[in-house]
Amino acid sequence: MKRISILLFVLSMLAAPLYAHHGRGATYDMKKRVTLKGTVSRVDWRNPHVVIFMDVKDETGKVVTWGFENAGVSQLAQEGYNRNTLKIGQEITAVVNPAANGSPTAIVVKVILGDGSEIMSRERGQNPVD
Amino acid sequence: MRNRFITLTILVFAVCLLPTGVANAQGDKDKFKARYEANAGSKEFDPHDFSGIWEMTRLDHSFGTPPPPLTPAGTAAMAGRIVDKPGVIGNAPWYTCNPMGFPRLMNDDEPMEFIMTKEKILQVFQWEHRIRYIWTDGRQAPSGQNLENLGPAWYGHSAAQWNGNSLTVNTVGLDERAWLDNAGLPKSFHARIEESWKRVDSNTIELQLTLYDPEYYTAPYVSAKKTFKKMPDDAISYFGWSGLFAGISEGICAPTNEVEGYNKGFRDVGQAKSK
Repeated sequence: MKRISILLFVLSMLAAPLYAHHGRGATYDMKKRVTLKGTVSRVDWRNPHVVIFMDVKDETGKVVTWGFENAGVSQLAQEGYNRNTLKIGQEITAVVNPAANGSPTAIVVKVILGDGSEIMSRERGQNPVD
Repeated sequence: MRNRFITLTILVFAVCLLPTGVANAQGDKDKFKARYEANAGSKEFDPHDFSGIWEMTRLDHSFGTPPPPLTPAGTAAMAGRIVDKPGVIGNAPWYTCNPMGFPRLMNDDEPMEFIMTKEKILQVFQWEHRIRYIWTDGRQAPSGQNLENLGPAWYGHSAAQWNGNSLTVNTVGLDERAWLDNAGLPKSFHARIEESWKRVDSNTIELQLTLYDPEYYTAPYVSAKKTFKKMPDDAISYFGWSGLFAGISEGICAPTNEVEGYNKGFRDVGQAKSK
């Protein structure tokens, strides 16, 4: 019994959902990346997630507002970002993992500014969304 | 028969967890390691002074060791607890901003500050912006009728004393609704959790927890040794504004943000349909 318990613990440690604060289930397609080009329309600078909304034109020219989640205020602030890092109307490119069901919601991978610099990168540990 | 039932319960539990963990484990554990290893601890420190802001280095949101087998009552206490897996959103209490409770918050991935006073130690946790009181004025953790009269608390009732350079904290009266860890393990109201804290250098504190809960576990549950590293000054001074704004920030889980904004606005909106 004890050996089984240890084996199952090892399995469950591999399996343990490591998101600290939030249940996600299958919210995002983490194997898929989408590149969005558009303008910042709103920044919700708050916990537990900073959310950035941007207006993106689809193939037909229709403007769709996307929202993508980021780390919380303290994590982003520790990386030097603040409420005014992105300004309303600013043109950005966002690389995101999109919602699993195709809705215009996503989780950040990175944000690319007009000069090509990359900020708020989850890949580089600057945006540790949990 | 009883053992078979318990084994089956644990097996189902672990198998349900497996896919999610494989997907998410990378990059979370030890994510602060490189950052703090460069900030090597000096030998000059007061072993009785834990003041400062600390962060756990290894993040598994659990005791980090295999739990002993549960009693039938312990197994029953887990009924209705759902952990995340692909396509299924769990029902951990904190997903709707209920308190993580002790000891789950201790095993969280956000900073915690120790504030030492003559008669008590305060732990201020960034997540929940929570204060935990640990009395060091000689009182003992409540027991017997006193404990029954006090009733359960999310963070229990804690008292501590120094044994040499080791701080021993006893916590009792824990609220059973709070999960022990992300896997939803239980703890009973009559459980006692003993923490053993030791500052081993200027930048490092070690912690080991032991859960004594004969109602729900067939043996004491001893955690792995947890390591906390003192946060470098530049990590707690936002934007380099040292002295202007620093310290534990407001990691409040507000339902208006988490439940209305996040759960309904993102989590649920993007869910793939169950097949």
